[in-house]
Amino acid sequence: MIFNYITSVILIVLGLYTVCAKRNLIKIVLGLGITDYGINLLIVSIGYNNGGTAPIYAADLFNIGGTAAFVDPIPQALTLTSIVIGACVDAMALSLVIMINKRYKSIDANEIRRLKG
Amino acid sequence: MTGFFDIIENIIKALVFPGLLFATIGGLILAGFDRKVIARMQRRVGPPILQPTYDFFKLAGKETIVPHAANKPVYLAAPFVGYVSLIVMMTLIPIGGYSAFSGKADLIVILYLLTIPAVALIVGGSASGSPYAGIGVSREMVTMMAYELPLIIVFLAVARLVGGSSLEFSLQYINAWQVANGPVISHLAMIPAALAMLLVIPAEVGTQPFDVAEAETEICEGPLVEYSGLPLGMFKLNTAVKMFVMTSLFSALFLGGIYNGIHTGVTLWGIHFLDIIIRAIIHFAISLVVTLICMTTVHAVTARLKIEHLFKFYWTVVTGLALISLILVWIGL
Amino acid sequence: MNYTHFPVLSVMGLFLGGFLVEIFGSKNKTVRNIIVMLFTTVSACLMLYLTIPVFGRGEVISYWMGNWEPVGGHAIGIGYEIDGLNMFFVILVVLTYWLSAVYSIKYMEKDRHLGHYYTLFLMLAGSVLGLVCTGDIFNLYVMVEIMTFAAVALTAFRNKKGSNLEAAFKYLVIGSVGSGFTLTGITLLYMQFHTLNMAQLASLVSGNMTPVSVLALSFMFIGFGVKSFIVPFHTPAADAYMSAPTSISMVFSGMVNKAGVYGMIRLLYMVFRVIDKSAIQIVVVVFGAVTMFIGVTMALAQHDFKRLLAFHSISQIGYVITAIGLCSLMGMTSGLFHAMNHTLFKGLLFLCAGAVLYATGTTDLDKLGGLSKKMPKTTICFLIGAFSISGLPPFNGFASKWMIYQAVYEKAVVTGNFFYTFVTVTAVVVSVMTLASFIKVTQAVFFGQAPKNLANTKEVPFSMRLPMWIMSALCLFGGVFYRLIGRYLLIPAGQAAFNITNYIDAMLGESTAVSASVTNVSMDLADGFSYWNPIVWLVIFITVLIAVCLVLIMGSGSRGKVLESGKDAAEDGKYSTFFSGEKSEYSHVAGSDLFWGFKHNWRKYFGIMQSVHSGNINDYSLMTVICSALIVIVFTVIFI
Repeated sequence: MIFNYITSVILIVLGLYTVCAKRNLIKIVLGLGITDYGINLLIVSIGYNNGGTAPIYAADLFNIGGTAAFVDPIPQALTLTSIVIGACVDAMALSLVIMINKRYKSIDANEIRRLKG
Repeated sequence: MTGFFDIIENIIKALVFPGLLFATIGGLILAGFDRKVIARMQRRVGPPILQPTYDFFKLAGKETIVPHAANKPVYLAAPFVGYVSLIVMMTLIPIGGYSAFSGKADLIVILYLLTIPAVALIVGGSASGSPYAGIGVSREMVTMMAYELPLIIVFLAVARLVGGSSLEFSLQYINAWQVANGPVISHLAMIPAALAMLLVIPAEVGTQPFDVAEAETEICEGPLVEYSGLPLGMFKLNTAVKMFVMTSLFSALFLGGIYNGIHTGVTLWGIHFLDIIIRAIIHFAISLVVTLICMTTVHAVTARLKIEHLFKFYWTVVTGLALISLILVWIGL
Repeated sequence: MNYTHFPVLSVMGLFLGGFLVEIFGSKNKTVRNIIVMLFTTVSACLMLYLTIPVFGRGEVISYWMGNWEPVGGHAIGIGYEIDGLNMFFVILVVLTYWLSAVYSIKYMEKDRHLGHYYTLFLMLAGSVLGLVCTGDIFNLYVMVEIMTFAAVALTAFRNKKGSNLEAAFKYLVIGSVGSGFTLTGITLLYMQFHTLNMAQLASLVSGNMTPVSVLALSFMFIGFGVKSFIVPFHTPAADAYMSAPTSISMVFSGMVNKAGVYGMIRLLYMVFRVIDKSAIQIVVVVFGAVTMFIGVTMALAQHDFKRLLAFHSISQIGYVITAIGLCSLMGMTSGLFHAMNHTLFKGLLFLCAGAVLYATGTTDLDKLGGLSKKMPKTTICFLIGAFSISGLPPFNGFASKWMIYQAVYEKAVVTGNFFYTFVTVTAVVVSVMTLASFIKVTQAVFFGQAPKNLANTKEVPFSMRLPMWIMSALCLFGGVFYRLIGRYLLIPAGQAAFNITNYIDAMLGESTAVSASVTNVSMDLADGFSYWNPIVWLVIFITVLIAVCLVLIMGSGSRGKVLESGKDAAEDGKYSTFFSGEKSEYSHVAGSDLFWGFKHNWRKYFGIMQSVHSGNINDYSLMTVICSALIVIVFTVIFI
């Protein structure tokens, strides 16, 4: 479990580093994506229950007994939502990059700075 | 019938004393004295005391020309809005310890009402469409930014001294406090603030050396360059009334409790008429002295500053003075 | 009538309208306008109906989606909850999107692909409405994301200009970083308390600040800080407000950054209930003060109308944040009042900027001038907006700013902390600078002389002026009758922000809060609405004005005529502008030329600020991340 948390923190920091340090707009979008994955990993990990089963209320159906621990289903739902949102954001960011490339003939962050001051 | 008399009384307060009539006449006489004394200091004979009044009536009889580039409604309305808000301010300031309207006249309200005449000058000048006015407007605004910082600090210092741990900003309360505890200026910590206020007054009124916005010799009176006739007269009148308002504000803030001993007991319809008249005269005399100190003398011996020097002067020296008072009061000296 | 369904119906109605307009309205203009006006009007009416139970009867409306009510005090479903505070923000939101929809009809008619525009517009409206109605923190995050998404797309809507795309991209990157922080904060909360319902979180978190909670708090603070564009997260705001179509800029400043403010209030006052710690108050007030100062000084340096307004939006949000950070009823009500006034006057100013853009095709202050003769009605509206934002009496900006000064100074007096006095002075100085920069716009755009190429400018059509007049009237109304607004709107809303137990009980059943031993944030009861009566002032003003006019009319007689130039008066030297005897010619003092004396003294500061706002997205991200790290450190130090 601790491994998951560490990995997610590393991913988030890596993503933020990419956003801050890379001049290429596509790399910036990738950085945003990496941050998202880090957060998703964190969300999934917090719902995990060691030895837990699928969260289906099956006590009567299969006669397993009430002792089995479920994996928390809510974080998984949250992760799904978050993934969908992340995908939309990435798609929009990339389409913006395409349009920027058409107008500026460049995807270097240093040259995309008409709005300043 | 009392309701009817209340209305009459309030109208008299707004229009005669301490409102329209008193403020206007007082302002015009102050301006006349100012000119006369400057002339005497420069070894000239100078105009008669009533010269500003004559000027006003002369201008009122002239044609008013609206330039082609001007926005007519704003151009014509601006001087009157400024004038009326000055008169309203006068009714809110305690004159000789008497407040015309007992409601709380908050210091911050005063601060903002004070900006209205300046804004009227700026907007009116801007509406005239002249580039000279444009420059004047820019300078007037910078002057305003310059003196607003020390002014608010002076207000906070007074409020802190008077209010202690309560939140009392009103001039009425400050006056009552001074009646009980002596004038604010008698507290040593407040002397720098009083000095700062004395330095703010000429910039607020726009007299030399702080008249950069209306520099006649460089930008032809800036915002007033296109004005003529009655509107021009109104702006001149505004300056005169502003002198009286600012000096009254100074005496209300710093010299509040000195009317304590004046009680004649002569009443007419339940109003202490004689008291009010005596106090109003004393008040006017104080205004005159303050004008002589902070405007006339300074005017007579200095030359006009440059705008960037003016700004720097207010944000360093004057603000520093005000800040010293605020800190001293805050730590309880 | 069962009005508990109204919130969800309004939100869903706006989303539904968004899709219908794409399906049926992408070709036909009439159908499109009917759909947009129908859905915005109906949802606005449904929400405004709720003021009767919420403000009139003091109810708190709670609604569980799919009727998933709490089981054993544990919230399972997504809940909507509307108390006074939510209702206050709902009013701002519906007002803004309805006026913006009316304005859009004419303003946007020359653009193509308007079906997409209205889809995104309705999505934006629906998401912000959902954000201020929801009682579920993950739902809140989803709404924030939809909001950001729609806002970014709308920023880039006029994609012919490269700079609009650039602004959208920057907004997207910074906004996503902010949303990421919000989501991480939510995750950390869920990890500890296993619930997403804000009421239940409030009952579990309060007084239970574990290190993980502190981290969650700081992450969510950063997240909502980014959404409300406080300094140093403000950089995309300036670009986006400037680049978006003006009807959308108005929506941004009217409700999108208010959504961030709402989140901030809920976060600090309810979910974590940390605002009663004086260190937290100072942190929030510092952010507010820095935001208002940097916003206004940057605005002074601008020479684009909309960009200038954008920086003013940032600055005014600084006032709001300062006021809500004070943790007194007076601070809260004044902050809310200022938020409301900001929606009105900044919306008005953006609409004026839009009118200028519509009429002339540019918003560059150095290329405009003399429009007051061509567009007199817009000029009047602009002056009202400018006086309101600069806080001149008797407009609404004065009432709220004045209350903020009172609140801050009261805090200074009560705590004896000199810092708050300093903040009071800053607030006043910022207000003067606001006035200065609007004088600059007035001089540069509306007064002065018109350039040759603007000779054929015409006033904008009525449907664009209607929202402007409504907002101008509201600005004046709010300033004169502010006690009325205070009594019926702001004090209930302000008290609701402090009344956590009521919020929890309404959501999770009676006496939940007591059993969870949650207490309300203690507050000072002074509300600041009784200090000054603007009506007295106005009556004196009008009396004196009438007297002056009477004297003038009686005294003037035939003398002192007002002479005005005729049609071809440019030829007549009497009416031309004075040029020291030279021949009159076009000469206009443009925006960039003003305030030299001020700028000269501050040139070093402006130099630094110019280099900080470099326009490079990496720099902005770096600023965001570094400041986030600082916030985390500061919050950790405060609590541990």
